[in-house]
Amino acid sequence: MMLQQAGSVQLLCLTANSGVPLFTRGASKQLPFSIIGSLNGVHMFGAGQGVVLAGCETDRGGRMVWRVFQDSVMLIAVSSGGQAQQEGGGAGQEDLHLRRLLENVWNCMVLVLGQDELASLRNVERLKRDLRSCYRLIDQLLEGGQGQEGTMGDLTHCADCLLPPNATLLQEGLDGFTQAADSEFGCLMIHGRIATATEKWWRLAPQEVVLLSVLARSLSLSGSASCDTPVFLPQGSPTVAHRLLRFQLLPGADVCVLCGPSPTLHRAENELVGCFWSPLLEALRGSLAVGERCLPGSVTLRPDVLALLLINRESRRSVSCVKAIITNHSHPPSDHPLPSKARCWELLRLFYTFTTTRYFPLEETQAPALTPGEKAQCGDSLREDFALGFSHQPLQCYLVTEECKCFGLQTAQHQLYLLTPLSVPTFALRSVATQTLSAVTLATGF
Amino acid sequence: MMFNIATDRGTSRSISGNFEDFDSIRRVLLYSDLEPEWLDDVQKNGELFYLELSEGEEEAALAQAAANNGLSTNRVHFSEKEVEIISEECRKRPDGTPTKAEPKLKRLARILRRKRQPSQRSGPDGGAKDSSSLPTSILKNQVGQRAGLVVQQQQLKEVCVYLNPKRLGSCSPPPPERGGLLEALLGVVHRPSWGQGDPVGGRGERIAVHGLVPNSPAIKCAQILIGDDLVAVDDVDVTTENIERVLSCIPGPTQVKLTLVTASPGGPGEGGVDVSSAPRLRPAPPVSQLVRLLWGEDTVELQMSIGHIPHIVMYLSLKLDSDSPLEEQEILYQYPVSEASSQLKGVRGIFLTLCDMLENVTGGQIVSSSLLLSKQLVHVGYWKESNHLLVIGLPAERVPLLSLQTVVGGVVRTLNVMYGSLGSAFCQVDHAPRLDHFFCLFFQQLIHPSRLSDSSVATPPDVSETLFLYGLPAVRWLTLPPEIKMEVDTVLSDFESSDFGEMSEDFYGMRRLYVTLGSCLFYKGYLIANHLPKEDLLDVCLYCQHYCLLPLAAEQRVGQLVIWREVFPRHRTQNPQTQTNNNHRTRPGYCQPQGRYFLLIVGLRHFMQCVLLEAGGCASPALGAPGPDCVYVDQVKATLLQLEGLDVGMEERLAAPPAPCLSCADWFLPSSARDRLDTMAASSPVLSKLAGAVKPSSSAQGGVKGVGRSLFGGGARRPSPQRSQSDSGSEGQPEGGVGGQTGLSPHSTPDSARKLDGRRDSLGSGGSDGSGASGSIFKIPKMKHPNPFYLGTLKKSLTERETEEMYHTIKLTSGAENTLFHYVLMETVQGIFIAPTHRELAQLSGSIHPRLIRNFHHCCLSIRATFQQSLPSRVRRGTDRPQRTHGLGPVKEHGVLFQCKPENWTDQRKAAPTMTYWVIGRMLLEPIPQEFYVCFHDSVAEVPVEMAFRLSFGLAL
Repeated sequence: MMLQQAGSVQLLCLTANSGVPLFTRGASKQLPFSIIGSLNGVHMFGAGQGVVLAGCETDRGGRMVWRVFQDSVMLIAVSSGGQAQQEGGGAGQEDLHLRRLLENVWNCMVLVLGQDELASLRNVERLKRDLRSCYRLIDQLLEGGQGQEGTMGDLTHCADCLLPPNATLLQEGLDGFTQAADSEFGCLMIHGRIATATEKWWRLAPQEVVLLSVLARSLSLSGSASCDTPVFLPQGSPTVAHRLLRFQLLPGADVCVLCGPSPTLHRAENELVGCFWSPLLEALRGSLAVGERCLPGSVTLRPDVLALLLINRESRRSVSCVKAIITNHSHPPSDHPLPSKARCWELLRLFYTFTTTRYFPLEETQAPALTPGEKAQCGDSLREDFALGFSHQPLQCYLVTEECKCFGLQTAQHQLYLLTPLSVPTFALRSVATQTLSAVTLATGF
Repeated sequence: MMFNIATDRGTSRSISGNFEDFDSIRRVLLYSDLEPEWLDDVQKNGELFYLELSEGEEEAALAQAAANNGLSTNRVHFSEKEVEIISEECRKRPDGTPTKAEPKLKRLARILRRKRQPSQRSGPDGGAKDSSSLPTSILKNQVGQRAGLVVQQQQLKEVCVYLNPKRLGSCSPPPPERGGLLEALLGVVHRPSWGQGDPVGGRGERIAVHGLVPNSPAIKCAQILIGDDLVAVDDVDVTTENIERVLSCIPGPTQVKLTLVTASPGGPGEGGVDVSSAPRLRPAPPVSQLVRLLWGEDTVELQMSIGHIPHIVMYLSLKLDSDSPLEEQEILYQYPVSEASSQLKGVRGIFLTLCDMLENVTGGQIVSSSLLLSKQLVHVGYWKESNHLLVIGLPAERVPLLSLQTVVGGVVRTLNVMYGSLGSAFCQVDHAPRLDHFFCLFFQQLIHPSRLSDSSVATPPDVSETLFLYGLPAVRWLTLPPEIKMEVDTVLSDFESSDFGEMSEDFYGMRRLYVTLGSCLFYKGYLIANHLPKEDLLDVCLYCQHYCLLPLAAEQRVGQLVIWREVFPRHRTQNPQTQTNNNHRTRPGYCQPQGRYFLLIVGLRHFMQCVLLEAGGCASPALGAPGPDCVYVDQVKATLLQLEGLDVGMEERLAAPPAPCLSCADWFLPSSARDRLDTMAASSPVLSKLAGAVKPSSSAQGGVKGVGRSLFGGGARRPSPQRSQSDSGSEGQPEGGVGGQTGLSPHSTPDSARKLDGRRDSLGSGGSDGSGASGSIFKIPKMKHPNPFYLGTLKKSLTERETEEMYHTIKLTSGAENTLFHYVLMETVQGIFIAPTHRELAQLSGSIHPRLIRNFHHCCLSIRATFQQSLPSRVRRGTDRPQRTHGLGPVKEHGVLFQCKPENWTDQRKAAPTMTYWVIGRMLLEPIPQEFYVCFHDSVAEVPVEMAFRLSFGLAL
């Protein structure tokens, strides 16, 4: 009897104390209540004995992760590895993904409902109803990298950025617009990535920036020209709501402002948007033209880079791109066909997870709002840090698989993850990576 | 001709001549009617684990301890009960009847009769043994139990002496009128009082020391004085009446505690000083923890020391009988019983539930789960077999999740080999003490590996190394020069043919007891010859690993090791049931006989031979639980004795410079080299250059300078002046990291070396072939250091001159400089791996290098885990092809670059110098499946395939 579809992730949410199911997302077929109950019960039983159950895995790569938030909500993620090929024994890789997912889902619930309502659990039935408003976001998080956008912020907790060719112009425009909207938090999103944002916006916790990007993306997918949404900031202000105003400037280009009671959506839309952004239409079009490459035309990537993810460790921003595969007919199809674009995104995510679980330390900015008890059970203490076992510091690593070659390197400021075709000789990977890193950082100052 | 190793052997002797030798050894062993010492230790079920330290070791240890005059913590004595029981049986030992021509059957019958005696004895004796009733040697340890005795009776003094009854030879016990065993064995001369004619018949007279025999144990210990009275031996009261009998019960070399009454004429005051201080300062022989653990001593104490670290093993029943009133009825077995483990035991409900549920939810078996237990992360591994669940919990800081499955798999396989199945291992109550011992060893190895290792070993094994090397499905192999290898193989084959007189059927017209399926031979823990199929080898090796037999043999410790037990080799016993059922109809012809299998391990000094025997099949079927048969044990012993002559050759091989050459990490770190070599550098221009000039950036061109480089055994391209310079420079400085390498060049003239190993080829030929293919910069430097590399096959095409040219340093890395730090190459098919020997590592001392090795092993854990996850998919590829690949897919090469800094960098102004190095793993499937792990300096880009190719030339099989 197998209750779950292969390869899917199912998310269970229950109240921590009473075990009342709040919602289930992610699977076509819901787990029966008895199973959900015993999944919760196992964790509760352990907690009673002073043992915190963190997770478990199966021989087929299936994996289960528990976590309790604010002593009130229990989130359980169940992934059924399904195909035996997946990660058989690749301990801890899927783990990071699921842990990040739980954290994101919780933050997402706070973002929409506020911490008070979640922590107090006064009326479970009402909470259940209210939580429905989170479903869209949660579903988007569950999709993860499988979404078309190819963003990785949910995994890396670094904001996905797009480096526009005319950054200063857009920055000035955004600063002016934000100020006029009585706010300090403003951000311009191109293709669902942050093209530019005000300084204060970057000062938000990285998870919040990522989550707001996800929210803005889902809002812009709804197709409306503008909207006004109340948001709680999971770390900044988990109990007091702000307003998130979003305006579509062009298809694919959105501007967001976090603000207080004023201005009204109507006023901002009619007076401010046109005034500040119509002179910048050309610049916006130029940025849109960058497309999914995320890098301005001034940066020339080597032809043998299939995909890259560049993380700025200080500012917690990331740029990622997957090259459009040019099916070159002059070359006969080689033995090793290049992986598809979607597969490249998947590989990039997997390689990032692999590397950060094994070698590179995770950039963990611990939320200050957590209770001490919760701190103890989240983050590293629940996750075994294999990287801590090394007596020397890992700087670079590479993998040669059957599809491509992966190379990761980290410097004091950056982490770079690269995919190259198999045709690139292994010993050349390193120079390809260092050249790419310097090419991007020199041209854009990222 | 070929046997240049055994010095006493004429070179003109033919091989058959050697075999005559061989047979004669066997014959001597066979007919010398000595009763083996281990006979008493055979258990009721036929199993035997007999370990005895070599006497040289014991005595040396004792002498050293005596010099140290350390406080006694470990006293060895016979339990009184045991001695009494033995004496009731009136056993005499050694058996003096010289019956050379006694028919075998009769002898066998006698042996069988003897064998039964200890088993009867072990009934009442079982209670006396504490938690572990593993068949131990007669040595037992009870710490501090008798301390009170000394204090109470001031005139008593306790003296520990080392006795070896075997030194008396096989002759009959010395007649009582000549002092008997007391004089012959102990060296105490006692003249019975004149009034009584018959000393033995006397009414228990006190034994006064009237004299001491020169060179005897009694006089050596320098504590037994003439005039003392011997009152007890190992707490057994002795008189003239029973002393001979008590002494005759000492089976083998052992330490014995004598209690004496000092006739101190100086009065009680002086006597008090003499008595109370001296005896209690009796030192303990520093028998290593490992040996004591193997003897089944100290388990409680050792277990206490790791009691605070959560770890547990449980065997749980999944079929719960709710009616049963018993509280913990689902726990079929549990170890240990400590505080931390009780918490894990308390949450066994989690394990049971998860095991049950996960299968339903995700369609896979649970393999691991992680728990946070009072701030400590604990990984729990699962193994489900029918209705039972084996659960092993280990702290995450010792065993990372990556290797948990390998560890659990290893335990399960070992238990399967030992007991046939987990069910039979855990469900029989009388196995419990043995399992306790098994798991005590298991946890000690993982949690406290340093405790088990001897302090003499320079670098104690760390957990990562244990996890990685023991996790490999392979055994550590030592390449030998072909002529030695051949002789070893010949001797083994000869043994396995079972052709010697007594074992053949015709000799007595009865069916032989066992068929030798094969054997493998270890020398100092390295496998040097294997005539077993891979799976059997791995089974045997797993057993040896779990009982720490390999490190044990590496130390000069084993006087005699005899292990006998029934085993259930995996592919022999576990497949046939299904196989024969299925194949009987479809494929007539040969099918594996359904026999029983026995493992016989005999160790003698550094050698250890494991023999797999089959009963049933063409040998006579085994009935009941047969114990070890003396004939077989003797034959193995004879084989080992025969091989002892090859000792020299193996030592030579171990002492040979590492091939391929290794570098020490410290040499590449300019600062540390400078700090340490400051004084040396002043006198040696070479070293100053070495210390100053080696920077990662410049090292690629470093070879051009040539001078400092030759130290690395690398390309000294220029002729001798510089080389001799470098030699003199380093020979003047025997200490430090540099000395290790050049200290190896006692036979540094090429000529002598060439004579020594005229048939050795060097790796360079292979290397240059390989580099030609990929255009690497590997070049053949002129040979200066003879760096012998033993190749299995002779390159026939090479002319003499070519051979000379090829005679260069073996360098695995390309470039002018040797940048290789460490390597592990595993041949998957044969189930062996090679890595630098312990001695080679010890030579590369240094502060950073050990850390680098540790890091290497830790990284290899990760690399191998990455490879493994791709392996199963490979198997299923054919069927799953159309499906989308999940995960990263099969990984065939994986590398990590590390940066290391010297520890304790105090200079605030300058940044610490750094050195970067790669750890790369490569999985090769063609031409032969191999896994290759290598660690080298960052300066040269390497192609691991090529390195593996070059290295595998060294695997002479």
